[in-house]
Amino acid sequence: MASPRRIVVVGGGVAGYSAAAELRARGYDGALGLVDPSGLPYDRPPLSKGYLLGTKDAAGLRLAPEAWYTEHGVELHAARAAALRPAEGAVELDGGRLLAADAVVLATGALPRPLRVPGGDAALTLRTLGDAERLRAALAPGARIAVVGGGLIGAETASGAAVLGAEVTLIEPLDPPLVPAVGEALARRLHAQHAEHGVRVLTAVPERIETGSGGAAHRTYHLTLSDGTAVEADAVVVGIGVVPDTALAAAAGLAVDDGVLVDAAQRTSNPAVFAAGDATRLRRPDGTLARRAEHWEAAVRSGQAAAAGLLGQAPPEFGAPWFWSDRHGVHVESVGSLAGPGEVLVRRTDDGVPTAAFRLAEDGRLLGCAAVDGGLLIKAARRIIDRGTVVDPETLADPGDDLRRRAR
Amino acid sequence: MSEGIVVGGTEDIEEGTAKVVEPEESGFDEPIAVFRTETGCFFALNDTCTHEEASLADGWIEGEDVECPLHSSMFSLRSGKVKGLPATEDARTHRVEVRDGQVVLFPGTDADPDACPGQ
Repeated sequence: MASPRRIVVVGGGVAGYSAAAELRARGYDGALGLVDPSGLPYDRPPLSKGYLLGTKDAAGLRLAPEAWYTEHGVELHAARAAALRPAEGAVELDGGRLLAADAVVLATGALPRPLRVPGGDAALTLRTLGDAERLRAALAPGARIAVVGGGLIGAETASGAAVLGAEVTLIEPLDPPLVPAVGEALARRLHAQHAEHGVRVLTAVPERIETGSGGAAHRTYHLTLSDGTAVEADAVVVGIGVVPDTALAAAAGLAVDDGVLVDAAQRTSNPAVFAAGDATRLRRPDGTLARRAEHWEAAVRSGQAAAAGLLGQAPPEFGAPWFWSDRHGVHVESVGSLAGPGEVLVRRTDDGVPTAAFRLAEDGRLLGCAAVDGGLLIKAARRIIDRGTVVDPETLADPGDDLRRRAR
Repeated sequence: MSEGIVVGGTEDIEEGTAKVVEPEESGFDEPIAVFRTETGCFFALNDTCTHEEASLADGWIEGEDVECPLHSSMFSLRSGKVKGLPATEDARTHRVEVRDGQVVLFPGTDADPDACPGQ
């Protein structure tokens, strides 16, 4: 493909925004548009944290101030994209308006996975600013909130709801969840925090939700769980994962398989369309498909890689993947992967409380590290993982050891 | 322009670390972090990350950048410019000078981005 002169980014999440910012940072000086119904791109992680708690407002969520788009020549289109028309060199907006585009970055993100049980569509979800506003309105002190799903979003929502004085019931089939993400010891510590903060935890799944007959302001929900338990709630919120939003890609004939398929340069099956973020899934050179990466940093990186790819430049090199979560007053981070073969070491305080977990390969290389309130440890681990340094397992498990020095 | 205040001797701040100067000491309305890079330069920024409540002095200092300990937002120590999300707002800089082995901070005075005090 010749160097594009008119690029349209579809989707204003952190992947789409990062693609636009990276295009300019790499010197692209052609036309650049960004299409998203919500207008100014905003950051989603605070929706289940500071925004839900009211410590961050909508203006504080913006990925860049409005002036940035003018300064960087990014034209914002507060509209929904109705269709990609790569053959015609255009993106069609709702209402039929066509934006000229000789290349597209598709960053449509993901949609909350629906709760597929009778009455499950009565549950709130948490993905957009609008979702967060609806949820926040339901979180009055004393309100009975049923949270379905104890993963990252569910746990953060349960935590926020408890802080706001709601009576929270968390319904999660695994005890504990998140073992692949942070290892078993930390997963247990984190899951136990719910009860310590007044959240009732039920190890089950909902089988059906019946909506009471009260008016909208007094509606109640009756959940029947797999173990027969009945839960009464004033609001139900579900956080059981996401499904990639591939509708535009599929309609445009792009290869899709539980995600828009992309290569390492974020190219889709159509040479004029690159894709980034939660909507995408990597197809490796041997044809096998990777797991979709659904974390914030992965979205940033893939947006940046798409920008490089579009300009025909080598993709940036990224190290081990990273995510964080904030709940019940603790900050959780993980880098690399705790799931898979290898030895897992746990660092504990003198009182036996686990604070970090490390996964080591047979040859002693560090493959993953998760920590509670251990930001610098994670930063050190990230460098150790990326460099393939072999670290003595005893020092990893030693709470007094400063891993920082080993990463220098 | 404010009067400079002596933060300490150059050896009081280890390379790759930072020292926080509290408002009571600086007269500035926010805590200021004075960083010493591994290349031996001294820089100062507002200590609180522009993204959320976290102390940049507790961050990871590499080259002339600091990574916030909480969400890994990255700032240039020299200019305060954001170099990595999720922060979107630049950090405020403060001028630092090194005189006779003393680190002198000028709270509220912008740093000269071309200066590398200490070298």
